[in-house]
Amino acid sequence: MLRIIWKRVTSAFLVLFAASFFTFFLSRIVPNDPALAYIGGKTTAADEQKVRTLLGLDQPLPIQYFKYLRDMLKGNWGYSLSTKQPVLSEILRRLPATLELIFFAVGFALFLGIICGIIAAKKPKGFASSFIRIAAIAGISVPAFWLGLLLQLLFVGKFHIFPATGEFDIDIKFTNPIHHITGFPLFDSLITGNFTALTSGLKHMVLPALTLSAYSFGLITRMSRGNLLEVLGQEYINVARANGISERLILFKLALKNAIPPVITVTGLSTAYLITGTFFVEQVYGWPGIGGFAANSLISVDYPAIMGITILGAVGYLVINFLVDIIYAKLDPRVKL
Amino acid sequence: MITKVKAGFTFIRGDIWTAISTFILTVFVLVAVLGKWILPYPSEGTGTANVDHLHIGPGAAHWLGTDELGRDLLSRLMYGARSVLFTSLLVVIVAALVGTVLGLMAAFFGGWIDSAIMNISSLFLSFPPLLLSLVAVSLLGPGLKNSLIALMISWWPWYARLIRNEARFVKLRPFVEIAESMGVSRRRIIFRHLLPNVTSPLIIQFAADLGTVILAAGSLAFIGLGAQPPAADWGLLVAQGRSVIFDQWWISTFAGLAIFLVVLAFNSLGDVLRDHFDPRRSK
Amino acid sequence: MKKKSSNPSSRKKFALISSIILGATVITVPQIASGATPISIFKVATSAAVTTWDPIQSFSTEAFYMPNIYEPLLWKNADGSATEYSPGLATSWSHSTDGKTWTFKIRSGATFHDGSAVTAAAVKASFDESKKDGGAGFIWGPVNNFTAPSADTLVMNLDYSAPMDLIASSTYGAWVISPKALAAGIANSKYYDSGLDGGSGPYTIKSYSAGSEVVLSAYPGYWGTKPTYQIVDALITPDAVTAQQMMTSGQVDWSTTIPLTSIADLKHSGKYAINVYKSPFNYVGYFNTLRAPLNNPKVRAALSMAIPYTDIVKIGGQGYGTQAHGPVPAGIYPFDPSIPQYKKQLATAKSLLAKLGVKNLSLKITYASENPAEARFVPLIASAFASIGIKADVQGILFNQQWAAAKKDPANAQDIFIVKYWPTYSDAGVDNLWSLFHSSAKPFFNLSYWKNTTYDNLVDDAAVLSGSDKVAAAKMYSQAMNILYTEAPGIYLYDEAQVTVVPRRLSIPKYNINYPFTAFFAGIKSAS
Repeated sequence: MLRIIWKRVTSAFLVLFAASFFTFFLSRIVPNDPALAYIGGKTTAADEQKVRTLLGLDQPLPIQYFKYLRDMLKGNWGYSLSTKQPVLSEILRRLPATLELIFFAVGFALFLGIICGIIAAKKPKGFASSFIRIAAIAGISVPAFWLGLLLQLLFVGKFHIFPATGEFDIDIKFTNPIHHITGFPLFDSLITGNFTALTSGLKHMVLPALTLSAYSFGLITRMSRGNLLEVLGQEYINVARANGISERLILFKLALKNAIPPVITVTGLSTAYLITGTFFVEQVYGWPGIGGFAANSLISVDYPAIMGITILGAVGYLVINFLVDIIYAKLDPRVKL
Repeated sequence: MITKVKAGFTFIRGDIWTAISTFILTVFVLVAVLGKWILPYPSEGTGTANVDHLHIGPGAAHWLGTDELGRDLLSRLMYGARSVLFTSLLVVIVAALVGTVLGLMAAFFGGWIDSAIMNISSLFLSFPPLLLSLVAVSLLGPGLKNSLIALMISWWPWYARLIRNEARFVKLRPFVEIAESMGVSRRRIIFRHLLPNVTSPLIIQFAADLGTVILAAGSLAFIGLGAQPPAADWGLLVAQGRSVIFDQWWISTFAGLAIFLVVLAFNSLGDVLRDHFDPRRSK
Repeated sequence: MKKKSSNPSSRKKFALISSIILGATVITVPQIASGATPISIFKVATSAAVTTWDPIQSFSTEAFYMPNIYEPLLWKNADGSATEYSPGLATSWSHSTDGKTWTFKIRSGATFHDGSAVTAAAVKASFDESKKDGGAGFIWGPVNNFTAPSADTLVMNLDYSAPMDLIASSTYGAWVISPKALAAGIANSKYYDSGLDGGSGPYTIKSYSAGSEVVLSAYPGYWGTKPTYQIVDALITPDAVTAQQMMTSGQVDWSTTIPLTSIADLKHSGKYAINVYKSPFNYVGYFNTLRAPLNNPKVRAALSMAIPYTDIVKIGGQGYGTQAHGPVPAGIYPFDPSIPQYKKQLATAKSLLAKLGVKNLSLKITYASENPAEARFVPLIASAFASIGIKADVQGILFNQQWAAAKKDPANAQDIFIVKYWPTYSDAGVDNLWSLFHSSAKPFFNLSYWKNTTYDNLVDDAAVLSGSDKVAAAKMYSQAMNILYTEAPGIYLYDEAQVTVVPRRLSIPKYNINYPFTAFFAGIKSAS
């Protein structure tokens, strides 16, 4: 086990090194005006020199890179050009909102996906099965940003059921402020009994989570259906059936147990897609998380923030893959880590 | 070859959904290729604004309405089809070529070449998909050319790994060893023996990737980092329609619908191909 | 041994039941605002981020908030006001006949947010520091020294005459700061970062969450009229569409960032008052005068006739703007409506170019990709050029990259550079005319790279003259602007109008062209 962790950690470092090199290298290719990027608005000629020295841009490139790496390892990821705050703290501050969004999206995708997979596998030739298959392909084909706009158009614009943007009603922080316990706003409002905030938060969560869940839903449905079909066609299922075990028991006790593990892998993979998916969904819904921050950083070419986000994305991906491998190994004793 | 095509047709006929997808793709390719000649409003489609026709919704004169510069939306979408198709083709072809060459090299030469290529591929693949593309485009500057480069950077590793694994599998087969020991040139081995056996997985990946790249390119354009105005890229059109989504809903809706349908069709096609060419992998 | 996890079917049941309960809760539990707030809160969505809270360094978008927190000696009034200036921390001012000595009488009874009194000494200290080290310190260029002979008198001694009333009303670099804060800021450059202020204005910073939110609260000890809203909650929203949706859905009271393309529909809804004002913003294009055939003024003049000015205003500005007369925006000194404009005359342009022997011309036009108006109208220029046989390649790049490339390598840079400009304070003679077209050894804002000594001298002399005789200076400026017309180193596209969209139930103070980035919260009240 420790060997595995060590292996993963070393490859993690390699990835981080590559990420930082990649972004550092690219960011120095195109000529840009760092003073203007830092100050915004208008600058004077004197500003340019001041900012160059401030940001250490007058040093030779290898030294800049070395300093950057050293600082990064110490926890100093630079200062965001748009907010002028440390990148790491900006990321950490926005992370809970995105994690809650991802939680709901994946939860919904898993829940609905597995159910649909089961329905489609039990009656493979039926109408429901065809419909579900199409829904699954649709899920992985639909552009997340478009789906988000469509849902806004319908449920906000036409039916006025859900709010358009944001994580909570703005008044909440004055009328029913959420007490900070874990840092996850919805969770905190739940455990502190702040139901006004909770309902406000849930209402705001529905559309973004639905939008984000589409891709995962598609993958999970396909995988569940496919694996279940394969498993249900196996000999031992027929044996069980011949022995009079009820269909229900067969499904839940035998088939699912064997069909589920690959679904975990797929969930992990799709969660990785979700990382970049949040960039678009959060932008459309004005969600105050990492995704929106990333989208704006990319658009405004906020170099330190972009580097931070790349590293975060890579780390997140690594962690997810690692967790998936562990869960898979636990669920399926045949697999050796 | 002919038998394979014939078999393909039987397949298509056998399933309504496949038929629909094929239809969508045929229309898409035709529109992309015929481009300027079949636009209902040719000058508007290619970008000339028509400031007197702003805010017109779907109707007789403009089936899909007009965009924020008064241009017929259907013409814009049709004109954009060519950029969508050719850019995704370009990305996938280049990525497949580079990846295939590197994958073959890795499989054939083995040793440190194999390790190097596979490690670099793994490195690229350890990032969430699209993240590298987004970062690359952002840093290089927005625009179609840079977004294509960025997408190619992200896509080649898949092919390298795929081809390398497939080729290794084939290489270990007895007939290849025999050929090698008989002194058949490496080139012949690659072209005569390795390549034909990797074409099936290659084609499957290719078809599926076309859809995925269209989605990725559209996402880049939506966020502002891809094709720039006055290009008719569909992702760009969705972005342009966003500010007026509650009033001129047709702009974003139809532009996004176009992306959705085409990607859906490509993904379905990918599924069909996978079932057909590689039953051992079918779901 | 594998541990048996809980029965999947009961797990599913639990999930199903709990989601039904949660769903029911969401829909049925009414939204009771428990604990109504006794104080009035004004919520506004804005894209204005804060680069720095340091009033000395401030030179950017935090100008949205600053004039609510700090005060200058005097304010320049909005367009169409009876008087030109209103007293701020100075109650009256005068200058000597030669214009080289200015005296300001400081208001008594005004206090800073930390309780200390506003004195001439505090003013002197603020301006000394600004002149020495400020982000916009150059505005104090004409000043030799400041003196505070008494607690309520500030004297400015100048090296050459200059309009100090105009300069002291600037939105940058002219704030009066509490001595304690000033000293703390000098000692520690990060002093203001967490959201501290040393102002005397009607609001003080209550809390600041970088990149997300600014909360201001009314200052009880303010000398002037107390604001209606006790708290101003500004939500920093970089995405204009989101900001708009926050207002239309009622999440915020007002949004200052609305995409121009949405205004027609908002107007249509009848729920908003659309107000159009003159703004100091305009769009200018530069020809690369270093490169043939653009080095020939006749060619440039011909090309100026190939620009679709009316369509540019209609599409770029969505109709909110007027074609420019030279690079000085309407409403800002020394605007002159008699400066001629080129009009779109494609046939004439084509034949002129043919006569000048221009064949197979191919131009690269760059614009700022983050500017939606430019993204809309620059392709129109390309189409117009194409219709007379000129191939135009349009490139949208991020502004700071566009600018860096243009400054770095003029010879290989763009052929036409499109930019949105505004003067630092309301003098477009010293600013626009000088910055945009005065020759400079190294390119900075003059991205036409044009060198014309007659123009340079006119502008330099007029700048000095404007200190004592604005009218005569304006005449010289007009001469300079006529040269800009005939020599056409640039194209003068349009002056952008400022459009505010305000819900009818609110009354917002008139837009003040001299403080173009600011919203004055103190004057906001419900429309009666």
